Amino acid sequence: MRQLLVLLVACLVVAAGSPNRAHTAEVSLHEVIDRLVESQAGKRSMAPPADDAEFVRRVMLDLAGRIPTVDEARRFLDDTSANKRNALIESLLAGDDYARRMQELFNAMLMERRGEHAEWTKFLRHAFAENLPWDRVARAMLSPDAADENLRGAAYFLTARLTKEGAMAPVDVPGLTRDVGRLMAGVDFGCAQCHDHISIEDYRQADFQGLHMIFENMQSRGGEFPAVTEKVMTKPRDFKSVFTGDPRTTPLRIPGAGEVAIQTFPKGEEYSVAPDRKTKTLGVLKFSPLRELANRLANAKNPLFARNIANRLWFVMMGRGLVEPLDLFHSANPPTHPELLDRLASEFAIHKFDIKWLLGQLARTRCYQRSSRLPGDGPLPPATSYAVANQKRLSAEQLFWSTLIATGEIDRVKKQTDATLEQVVADTDPLGELQKQFLKTFSNPPKEPEVDFAPTVKGALYLMHDQAVLDLLKARPGNLVARLATEPDPRKLSGALFLAVVSRRPTPEDVEVVTKLLENKTRTARAEAIGHLAWALLASTEFWVNH
Amino acid sequence: MNHCRSWEHDWSRRRLLGAVAGGVGAAGLGGMLQPAVAEEMARSDKQILLIWLDGGMSQLESWDPKPNTPFGGPFRSIPTTLPGIHVSELMPKLSQQMKRLAVVRSMKTEDANHSSGVPKILRGQPRNRGVTYPYLGSAVAKLMGPTESGLPPYVWVKPGNGGFISKHAGFLGARYGALALGDGKPPANLVRPDSISSAADEARQELRRRFNRQFADRRRGDFNEANSHVYDVAETLMKHVELFDETKLPEKDRRRYGTHDLGRHALLARRLIEAGVRFVQVTSYGWDTHGDNFNSHASRMPKVDQSVTALIEDLYDRGLDERVLVVMMAEFGRTPRINGSVGRDHWPNAWSVAMAGCGIRPGTVVGETLPDGTDVKTTPYDIGHMFHTWFSAVGLDSAEAQYMNGTQPLPIAHDDMHKVDELLI
Repeated sequence: MRQLLVLLVACLVVAAGSPNRAHTAEVSLHEVIDRLVESQAGKRSMAPPADDAEFVRRVMLDLAGRIPTVDEARRFLDDTSANKRNALIESLLAGDDYARRMQELFNAMLMERRGEHAEWTKFLRHAFAENLPWDRVARAMLSPDAADENLRGAAYFLTARLTKEGAMAPVDVPGLTRDVGRLMAGVDFGCAQCHDHISIEDYRQADFQGLHMIFENMQSRGGEFPAVTEKVMTKPRDFKSVFTGDPRTTPLRIPGAGEVAIQTFPKGEEYSVAPDRKTKTLGVLKFSPLRELANRLANAKNPLFARNIANRLWFVMMGRGLVEPLDLFHSANPPTHPELLDRLASEFAIHKFDIKWLLGQLARTRCYQRSSRLPGDGPLPPATSYAVANQKRLSAEQLFWSTLIATGEIDRVKKQTDATLEQVVADTDPLGELQKQFLKTFSNPPKEPEVDFAPTVKGALYLMHDQAVLDLLKARPGNLVARLATEPDPRKLSGALFLAVVSRRPTPEDVEVVTKLLENKTRTARAEAIGHLAWALLASTEFWVNH
Repeated sequence: MNHCRSWEHDWSRRRLLGAVAGGVGAAGLGGMLQPAVAEEMARSDKQILLIWLDGGMSQLESWDPKPNTPFGGPFRSIPTTLPGIHVSELMPKLSQQMKRLAVVRSMKTEDANHSSGVPKILRGQPRNRGVTYPYLGSAVAKLMGPTESGLPPYVWVKPGNGGFISKHAGFLGARYGALALGDGKPPANLVRPDSISSAADEARQELRRRFNRQFADRRRGDFNEANSHVYDVAETLMKHVELFDETKLPEKDRRRYGTHDLGRHALLARRLIEAGVRFVQVTSYGWDTHGDNFNSHASRMPKVDQSVTALIEDLYDRGLDERVLVVMMAEFGRTPRINGSVGRDHWPNAWSVAMAGCGIRPGTVVGETLPDGTDVKTTPYDIGHMFHTWFSAVGLDSAEAQYMNGTQPLPIAHDDMHKVDELLI
């Protein structure tokens, strides 16, 4: 007995790793994360903490969707307070850029570049400006409420997937079923439409068919805003495996929540609020399959739902999913850090799916704040160890805003000092066009998830030769190159250039390169050379990724 | 003399060609990081040129004429350089190339719709495993990669618009898509604007490379490699900018290939192949002759006859036949029965495919159709058989090599089908 007690105490001590462990609830998630990641990394050599320049660029790209301005970077680098990193995280989560960044991030994640709709944009902006809980956001997408002006645009998640693509291509309802599984529950059972999945035992045809029947029972309703209607569902779904041919039947099946029996009502009594064509009232079904789906999938008790979003937000911040591919959760593909994913998912659910809270916790970890560079000469540890920060792809939006800031184009065209980035672009036609070109050039094609870093030849040629891009690097009053051209001291010039574009101070080697390049140049040639320097930094991998 | 010996490339063991190669870090990095097999294939100098006659060329007005039969139509057949073999009189020039060609007259495929038939044929119609297979060009881009030239491995010359066509890549992922040259025009932004001199460009590129080296030091290299790679490819393409300048072509070449779209595009294709593009597809649209089939073919076939003959002649003259496989096909043939609009409709049941060059046995005619052309009389071949044959011709063992789609191994051609030995040397 005594032995057992000793063992128990020992376990607690080992497990604690923090003096506050006595009150479990008070151990912050970020501490738990670091404990779990570092214990698994073991004796691997770890990268040191990111320096301030690395950190400020990284966290601003992640939480504000852009690089810091020169002023912001300088202020942070010069700040001597001990708590400045946490303070920056808090201010970014509370800042104006946050909702825009999240709108852009979730738009790319959920719509996979299928297109845009003003109502959808409005919904996303509202959701993140108000920091609506993720389950609330997901329910709005799965069972849209046409009566709620702020949230009705969420229906675009469904309707954008129900459009005809060409005369011969039918509306891809199975594709919608697949995407709901992939994006909301982390399970891609598209391959289980016609038979049980061949190589993944967990993905059953019945799961696909039981979810699919919900979307086959639904239609996109035309109109000024995206909306859907449902029919009365009366019977379970019959299906056959193309392999065995055996006839089978399933009621509704919700990923992570199992079967739901179909409730039927006598004819004429199916609605609690009857639809009315004259007043264009949709009516409320007593048994709405979409409502069942929304309530049972987007639910704190649904393990797939919580784990999927926890894994996706981890991916956004850490550059790798605990489960990869992000949409292939199944028992033969376990997370790299099982306990960590459990904790992330359960704590996120306990915190009512508060996205700001989770991002804040992730940003505070040592794991997030490690350098992407490992000193010494040993081999670099694998990405799954998080012993060195992983590099991350920048979205077309992040690249666009960051390019405007880096080249000083925003300063050049800005008329009102308090105008947001979006307002400046909206008020300046050529920048609106540049934004379109950036999105077109640097986004993936429609339906291709933007997960991997995938630079293209098209993108390189665009950056090399497009006139609108080259114009950003010509000296024009107020922009970066014009400002630098008036600076005679190459050391100071280097300082301003590197801080503006790559958000750090130049190394001695950088200064040497700049000095040498600008030596004995006429005024015109000097301005041109400064343009080349700025272009080269802009096209460099250092600018092009979040590291 | 043909030295392309496909059996020399046979592999002794099953090796995987990873769609997601080399672990997570490599995913999405432009297919640069490939396992051993791909590296082996990357050193191969074999290339493929596909001439695609979209809409469906009539086999009866080309490779498999049936004159003086109820469905034969008005055209005669003419003898070829292969004793006993006749082709349509619409191909007088190609009839003189028959000793260099191989023709399959016993194609029998399934899909009679354009919208589904085109992708099925171009994907080799593998067994349905719930994944979208790549088109032949994307498959070759994945399996063999770019040649030493560093040029993009899959270039598509077509009328109309160009761009990067990612959907051809299927599950392999967007990066294996086609670089489409609309009307043979260069990709957007290929030409350096006058405002940047070549010296200035070199200066800024050198700075970029220097900054990248500094960045990559003691960081994981995959992102920087991928990002540097696309600039290298862009610069390689720029070096070949003369490919897109038709004014510099000898008048004689232009006359031989023809100044029509197919002629100009076939000539560009030859030059792209010479420059080192791994896979070039030339598309000619408008072969869907439901109405007025005979006048249509009378005006279209001479263009094919002219440009494809010029192409074959050039490949042989330059010794390229030893390493370049040429295939000419469509998504199906056309009905023997002549419809009320004097047209022919879609006919996958019995049609023809032609090929030449690397690994192909010259002067071969495989298979036979019924006297009225309605069905295949000999062993029918599906497109899967052709994929096995073509892969084999360029040294890929399609019975062994596989793709990896995540955890799912996938055959590169239909696993119930096999290569057609008669077609191979």
